[in-house]
Amino acid sequence: MRVIEPWVAEPLQRFLSESSARLVLLTTSSGQVVAQHGFTRALDVMSASALGAAIMASTEELGRLTASGASRALSHQGGTRGLFLSAFDLPHGRWIGLVVYDRDSSLGLVRLFFDRLVQELLAAAPPVGPAREVLAADFEHELNASLRSLFGR
Amino acid sequence: MSNDDIRVLTAQLAADPSSLVFLPLGEALRRRGQLGAAEKIAMAGLMRYPELADAHDLLARVLGDRGELERAFDEWDIALRLDGRHAGAHKGIGFLYFVAGDLAQALEHLEAAHAADPKADGVAAAVARVREALDTESGRAGVADAGRPVSEAAAKPVSPSPLPDGPSVAGAAIFAGLEGAQDGLLLLDGSGLRLGGGLTAPDGRAVGDAVAAHLAGVFRDASRATRLLSLGAWTSVAAETADANLFLCAPTPDSLLLLVRDSSVPIGRLALQAERASEAARRWLERPA
Amino acid sequence: MKTDIVGSLESVTRVRGVRGAMVVSAEEGLVVAESSMEGIDGAAVAALTAGVVAKLGRATEAAGRTTPAFVHLQAEGGALLAVPAPGDLLVVAVTDAEVNVGLVRLELRHAAEHLA
Repeated sequence: MRVIEPWVAEPLQRFLSESSARLVLLTTSSGQVVAQHGFTRALDVMSASALGAAIMASTEELGRLTASGASRALSHQGGTRGLFLSAFDLPHGRWIGLVVYDRDSSLGLVRLFFDRLVQELLAAAPPVGPAREVLAADFEHELNASLRSLFGR
Repeated sequence: MSNDDIRVLTAQLAADPSSLVFLPLGEALRRRGQLGAAEKIAMAGLMRYPELADAHDLLARVLGDRGELERAFDEWDIALRLDGRHAGAHKGIGFLYFVAGDLAQALEHLEAAHAADPKADGVAAAVARVREALDTESGRAGVADAGRPVSEAAAKPVSPSPLPDGPSVAGAAIFAGLEGAQDGLLLLDGSGLRLGGGLTAPDGRAVGDAVAAHLAGVFRDASRATRLLSLGAWTSVAAETADANLFLCAPTPDSLLLLVRDSSVPIGRLALQAERASEAARRWLERPA
Repeated sequence: MKTDIVGSLESVTRVRGVRGAMVVSAEEGLVVAESSMEGIDGAAVAALTAGVVAKLGRATEAAGRTTPAFVHLQAEGGALLAVPAPGDLLVVAVTDAEVNVGLVRLELRHAAEHLA
């Protein structure tokens, strides 16, 4: 498990332990990675975070168009693995959680412990500092720093 | 013993139900194969004399003849608690250990039986036979012990427990004397590694190790479920399949015990068997290294 | 159909000592229907019970046996009982520690039959 924000570590570790999830990715709604577990390549992390953010944005838009309300969680069951995608709000903004699980777990267990993860993140989140202007160069620098941190390099 | 002798003993017992004549009468009926009658006589005697080691020994012999080895073991165990030098109980338990393959324990009890009653029928020969088997097992020839006079065996009371070390004998030794000692009783640690016992699938495959690995997951999930649902610590998991009943419990915080029996054995009975097996497992796990 | 399911569950919850009953999707561990689950986290019961039953099923499969037709998880302060039902469902009861397990099992089986 690798985290950018240290206060995420303990709640995420508990989630991993209880849910038996195989892959976990926490990102901001813009796709910036906050924490990951189980991914072995930076490229996969970047792709998954971008796709997850895009899927959540698409479903929210679909919800608006159909007046069915914004969808907070999606799930997909594959042959041997399942996927769970959920957005949640922290004081820092909206985050997205992507969880992949197999036979050792279930959608019900992932949802159960994901709800608890969100509550624990809410409780552990530090106060929000003043917003700062993000420059393109800063963003790329931060992304690279994040990826290095996430992969222990 | 002739029919007339049995009639006389029966009449004596009828005239004085508190008489100890139930002992020779029960034994005579047992030798004649009248096990139902022998058991009734033994049970009636035990109700009057629950502290009499000979009465427990009689019942154990009847149960042993009926193939109820687990109950027989229990009765001989009780006899030894009442009289640590009871020759019959040592002989009986020694026999059960021999059947279970625990030769070391078998020898210890048979030697104790011989020490307590040197004239007991067949015990000296049984001791020699078990020693020979042990020597063969260890590959030693002319072992010093083979020449040791039997009468030098310790006269002190020998308890049926603790059970021996070694993965090579742990399988049967942990549950020696209990029903299912060879198959249907499985002891594992919290990581899913088999510690002892064995399990065979209906098609004859040995499946103990595979089942142990899966049970670690059950252990973890059961603990988590009861904890998160505020049901307290879990105590057991029972399951019924089409062809078997299963019972899972934890003899110690770091071990699991599984019993598997044919579906004709009610789960309530499995729970009782599990208690006895758990005791045996605890003794083995907590023995000094 | 939902009314029928809930009706079946009510016969389970009428047994003394039963705190709640539900129908659960076995694979996903999600609630399908529930009855009298006051004070009990139904989603948690569904997910956790389905997990135990699934793992036990894999153990019995490894033992060369069929999948469990009845599961009873006993704890110091209560118990979970589950019976499989058609459509990859489970009928689950949450009970007090002291309960007539035989009767609950019977009612769970009746409820499971009604789901066919």
